[in-house]
Amino acid sequence: MSTAIENKKLKSNNKLVSTSLLLGGVLIAVMMIFGILMLLAQGGVIDVSDAAFYQFLTIHGTGMVGAAALAAAGVMWYFLNRYVELSKKIFIWFLGLVLIGVVLVVIGVFSFKYASAWTFLYPLPAISANAWGVTGALLYLFGMLILGTGFLLLYIDTGRAIIKKYGSLGKGLGWDVLSGKKKVSDAPPKAVVASTMVTIVNTTALIAGAAVLIMNIINVINPSFTFDPMLAKNLTYAFGHIFANAIIYMGVIVVYELLPKYANRPWAVSKLFLVAWTMSTAFTLVIYTHHMLMDFAMPKWMLIMGQALSYANGLPVLVVTAYGALMVVYKSGIKWDMASGLAFLSMFGWTVGVVPAVVDATIVVNHVMHNTKWVPGHFHMYMGLGAVVMLFSFTYYLAKIDSNVKESKLDKIAFWCYAIAMFAISAQFLVSGALSTPRRWAIHYPGWMTPAVFGAIAGVFLVIATTIFIIHFVRYLKNRGTVGSGLNEQKPA
Amino acid sequence: MKKPLVIGSLILLILIIPPIRIYMESIMIIHMLIQLPLLIVVGWFIGEFLMDKAPRVFELLNDNGIPGIIVFVAITMFWMLPRTLDEALTFPLYELFKFISLPLVGILLVDSWRKIKVFGRVFIFLNYLSMFGLMGWLYLDSPIQICNNYLLAQQKILGWGFIFITALMVMYVLQYVFTDHSAEEDISE
Repeated sequence: MSTAIENKKLKSNNKLVSTSLLLGGVLIAVMMIFGILMLLAQGGVIDVSDAAFYQFLTIHGTGMVGAAALAAAGVMWYFLNRYVELSKKIFIWFLGLVLIGVVLVVIGVFSFKYASAWTFLYPLPAISANAWGVTGALLYLFGMLILGTGFLLLYIDTGRAIIKKYGSLGKGLGWDVLSGKKKVSDAPPKAVVASTMVTIVNTTALIAGAAVLIMNIINVINPSFTFDPMLAKNLTYAFGHIFANAIIYMGVIVVYELLPKYANRPWAVSKLFLVAWTMSTAFTLVIYTHHMLMDFAMPKWMLIMGQALSYANGLPVLVVTAYGALMVVYKSGIKWDMASGLAFLSMFGWTVGVVPAVVDATIVVNHVMHNTKWVPGHFHMYMGLGAVVMLFSFTYYLAKIDSNVKESKLDKIAFWCYAIAMFAISAQFLVSGALSTPRRWAIHYPGWMTPAVFGAIAGVFLVIATTIFIIHFVRYLKNRGTVGSGLNEQKPA
Repeated sequence: MKKPLVIGSLILLILIIPPIRIYMESIMIIHMLIQLPLLIVVGWFIGEFLMDKAPRVFELLNDNGIPGIIVFVAITMFWMLPRTLDEALTFPLYELFKFISLPLVGILLVDSWRKIKVFGRVFIFLNYLSMFGLMGWLYLDSPIQICNNYLLAQQKILGWGFIFITALMVMYVLQYVFTDHSAEEDISE
């Protein structure tokens, strides 16, 4: 009887999480189309007005980060809910607020021509040279604020639940194990450690974001209220960088939960693992200054910290996770399918995607490369081949354990199509960066066009592959609850 | 249980005494960060008394605590605006409204705070944290005098006051989330 109730609860949770995944997945696919349009425009293939280009840029950036964060939050909620008691009501509120925020942002961008890019850098929302008006800016800024409020609700709930079960966020990170008060075998599970880290960094980011969004709103309504632009930029990136960065830390929970089950090997929490996550918690909060290496007015120590800690942040969790994943998989006789394959691919994407970032975080390189397409090269690889792949891995996993929908050859083709296309897109950005092609420019010189066209063509394949992933997930949604694989019942290692 | 009523009324009485009221309102930081919160404290004490005397009224008006906390947020946000602070000194009706509205939201706060549980409390706390930070920034960074009744230097002092409170709130959050609460029963949704 209790198992039946438990199963019913699980199924109902699956429905909620699926909603966030479906919404996130579809938004990602639509945003890819805007990406292709921008590359085609930069490549001189199609004519897109400058105003429309910057609207596309704004919606592409906002949509990608928002959609990926939405889906990743669903993944985190799904796994964390197995260890702590989360509130379903809050998750529904989260979904509702995010949806309202997305609608406001879309209306602001497309009906009122708002186009400040997703970074909404002060004082741009108020000073648009008549490209957009007050209404567009307010719709966008309020949309972001509501969206952020949704996420804040979610993280308050995850924080509350972790504190309730483990006593404190420090214990959620395993500090009592590190201090020797508890045995390593009693350490919190990896999903809890990762969720604690995300709760800490994203709550901080969202508070900073709320302050700078309201400040922008005040400035848009009454431009005579001005603020220190440098402080505004600091707060903006304290929000934007951390929030975008945390997507991968939510997504990686899939890798932690899936690979041990597939490989049928334990992936135990070690002290090194806990140290790595604590280090990443601290570093993620402070390395946003690598976005400001070109701002001469910034205190020098902050810039040096930005460089040094960016190097350091790239390593702990990534090394521990990538190395751990390799050890779990090596000679395990793992059964590869879409879920495990995508989880493993994401490790590759994360590892290689970090390299261009570390290069760009070097001050002398940054002065030359930061305003080129090198930077989109980094985050397309990191997000597209890393974080987003983790999310699709989860969709296949859910379909496997909660339905009888089988993977087809088409899915396997889509896997390779996605991997190669995403790699190609990232590579064309990096090549463009090496050619000194500026980023965020609607118009390119002829010498800059070829990589953009190449990227657009790769983008078409990427959209096809993503659509196949989504179709599989929709098939799952239609058959949800039919008998699935026994993987679900296996205890996480 | 008349003790809270007595304490609340006494504080209110002290705050109303003209020399004290005028002195408090002559210094911007004392007006915003001492007089206004004290008026809410008045409401808190009176609310404790009223909740004991007429619990049914609170059940009817503020069953789950959310209506009360929404009114609380709206009224306190209203009083955080520089213009309203200024007009309280210029128009007696505003002043009267201040002395009625803030104790009233204090009454609602004491009732709502118990009802909204940990989740709601944290949400409200974090909202005020970012709001206080923003207000500090606004008062510190404004290049112009934003109140007729207070000089630019007073604005700056108030700005630092807000930043100080924000810093205290951040420290409180840090000590709360990193100290052990496993023995507590109350961390429910």
